Amino acid sequence: MRQAAPLICTLLLLGPGTVKAQGFNLKAPIATQPTLVTGVGQSADIEMVKVLLNRGKVVFKADPQAKAGALAASGSKSLVLVIGGSSKGLGAAGISAEVDIERAKGLVAEARKLGLKIIGLHVGGEGRRGQMSDKFITGAVPLCDYVIVVATGNKDGLFNQLCAKGKIPLDSVDKIANAGAPLLKAFK
Amino acid sequence: MKRLVAIAVLILAASGITAQEPFNAAGRGAQGPNGVVATAKPEASQVGIDILKKGGNAVDAAIAAAFAMGVLEPDTNGIGGGGFMILRLATMKEAVVIDFREVAPTASKPDMFKLDERGRILNHAGTDGGLSVGVPGDVAGLLHALDAFGSKRLTRAQILQPAIHMATQGISVTANLDKNIKDSLEKINAFPACAELFLQEGLPYEIGEKIKNPDLARTLAIIASKGAEGFYKGEIAVKIAAEVKKQGGILTVQDLASYAIKVRKPVRGTYRGYTILSVPPASSGGTHLIELLNVMETYDLKALGRNSPATAHRWSEAMKLVFADRAKYMADTDFATVPLSGLVSKAYARELAARISPKESMTAPLPGNPAQYESGSTTHLSVMDKEGNMVSITKSIGLLFGSGVLVPGTGILLNDHMSDFVPKPGSVNSIEPGKRPLSSISPSLLLDPKGKSFMTIGSPGATRIFTTVAQVISNILDFGMPLQEAIAAPRLAQPHTGNLSLETRLPAATQKALGTLGHKLTLRGDWDPYFGGVQAVLYDAKTQQLIGGADPRRDGQAIAF
Repeated sequence: MRQAAPLICTLLLLGPGTVKAQGFNLKAPIATQPTLVTGVGQSADIEMVKVLLNRGKVVFKADPQAKAGALAASGSKSLVLVIGGSSKGLGAAGISAEVDIERAKGLVAEARKLGLKIIGLHVGGEGRRGQMSDKFITGAVPLCDYVIVVATGNKDGLFNQLCAKGKIPLDSVDKIANAGAPLLKAFK
Repeated sequence: MKRLVAIAVLILAASGITAQEPFNAAGRGAQGPNGVVATAKPEASQVGIDILKKGGNAVDAAIAAAFAMGVLEPDTNGIGGGGFMILRLATMKEAVVIDFREVAPTASKPDMFKLDERGRILNHAGTDGGLSVGVPGDVAGLLHALDAFGSKRLTRAQILQPAIHMATQGISVTANLDKNIKDSLEKINAFPACAELFLQEGLPYEIGEKIKNPDLARTLAIIASKGAEGFYKGEIAVKIAAEVKKQGGILTVQDLASYAIKVRKPVRGTYRGYTILSVPPASSGGTHLIELLNVMETYDLKALGRNSPATAHRWSEAMKLVFADRAKYMADTDFATVPLSGLVSKAYARELAARISPKESMTAPLPGNPAQYESGSTTHLSVMDKEGNMVSITKSIGLLFGSGVLVPGTGILLNDHMSDFVPKPGSVNSIEPGKRPLSSISPSLLLDPKGKSFMTIGSPGATRIFTTVAQVISNILDFGMPLQEAIAAPRLAQPHTGNLSLETRLPAATQKALGTLGHKLTLRGDWDPYFGGVQAVLYDAKTQQLIGGADPRRDGQAIAF
């Protein structure tokens, strides 16, 4: 017990997100490059995901409002959904939450037709939760083949519930910068 | 083992604190007999209290807290911006308004922004980049107040020292700042100097980490040493003008050198026997605060019920009419004729109230004719001391992170208040050189029916500012709510046309009934910073206590002693 005690303290200090991040639940790469990055909820969190992909030298195009009709022509071999709502972003885009969810669903349906794998990321933490963001989370997460969440955005276990229901591998990281590792491992 | 469990519990507790829940409604208020400072950051409120304890008056405390706020909340305000202040020392017969709003640069023109077919400014030029920058007034306004109304018992260096210290040591990223940074990443990334300050290798700092701004500390030290001249002339002014020009703007060193604050008479009104003193144009806020309260005074709100459909409906309809007037009449009175006394007249308010149907919502109300009765992300702080001195300051750099233009080597983030003009010729609020853009800022003071100091209040929140302030005043005077409860109560906001925005804590039955009356609703969060962040201090004559209230929708905190 005496030997286990420091480990218990360390685990408590680091928190559950980090514990999960040490061994990723996605066991093998699923996605092919180049990838198309789009927003679901039009938050500026897509900017953070662009930084992570650039750091990992993943080839990508980013289009916050990518539409189904343009997917085939884009040459993309996988799809990254950056999930989280922003009233400011939706306002700037001139669309409602419902319209954006429908766009994302259409895009995912087209991706499925083309055989593309879909990765979902929620990197906005607790600030990107709440009534509006949760609409996008519950709408988009079940459509993904793999999901990565920053732990503060999953304190209530919503992502665990959604992913368990859809048997979708989920990895949780303790901070944004650490989302890069599982994201890169998802690409072949 | 017991010891280990205890350590583990402590660690868990500590990690909970570090994580900082994004919302915490408890413990925002404070009361004491000697003084209260209520700002949008606990650290700034403490700065003000420390100044009072050193023998400073409410003005000294407010100015020290205001400079500190510029460091602590750099996304909403700072020395690259401007604002309005109203103050009344207990020895003064009349309150004074200090207008330190930005002005349009000399080279500005009514058609300086390129518009699309729908009249919108192209490429975000009105809000991002050099062309959006007005001549900052923050330093001139704060130092004028200090020189003219401070106690003279403390030096300028003592007043600025806490802000300098905070800029050097760094500010903690709160849940609120974290969200604002993440929401503004596109703007921040567009300006490398801004990204260098607010991001770490392209990613936001984590909650609890510190952002240091040593360049800003050096700039504040220059201001402490040289006064306003240290900002408006010399090295700092040259750097500001050079960076604005580099980012496509037109502000020059001459514009900075010629900036002048305006000392104005407050607009004056009454509500339920209490005198309301607030800011006149170039802010529309004070005038429309009084106009809105005048309309609401025609109703027995207590009888109609707090949060009832009838009360919410009347607020919404009155706001529509007030915003219709704002669009038509309001501008900088140095450049346009504004029917001010008509807008704040009780008779005009009765006419407006008569246009409000209790049974249905108006779709597109026209402005009234007040002439016949003629005879805008931001921060607010309120201070009141035991002498009855009252200070109310609202200041801003415009939208979150202002123009995004951060002046290298100075730590100054510049405003985007040129976006508050109408970007085409022909409006009373069109752009003209030296003109102040229209604002909704409404720092206000209330006197009790005997004319004694009663309350200082204000809020950020763009065009929701005066509607929010009006609702809090009504909560106190109509419903007898304690100050903190009045601030926490659910709010609504209605622009001239379009949806009525509500905090979802407003009862479901009220929401349903409003729909029946024809209101189209936008349901926002339970506690949504969209509706501002009120800081207020009130004197309770019965207990002879000063009571401070601060808004949990942002990082507000009142501190007393």
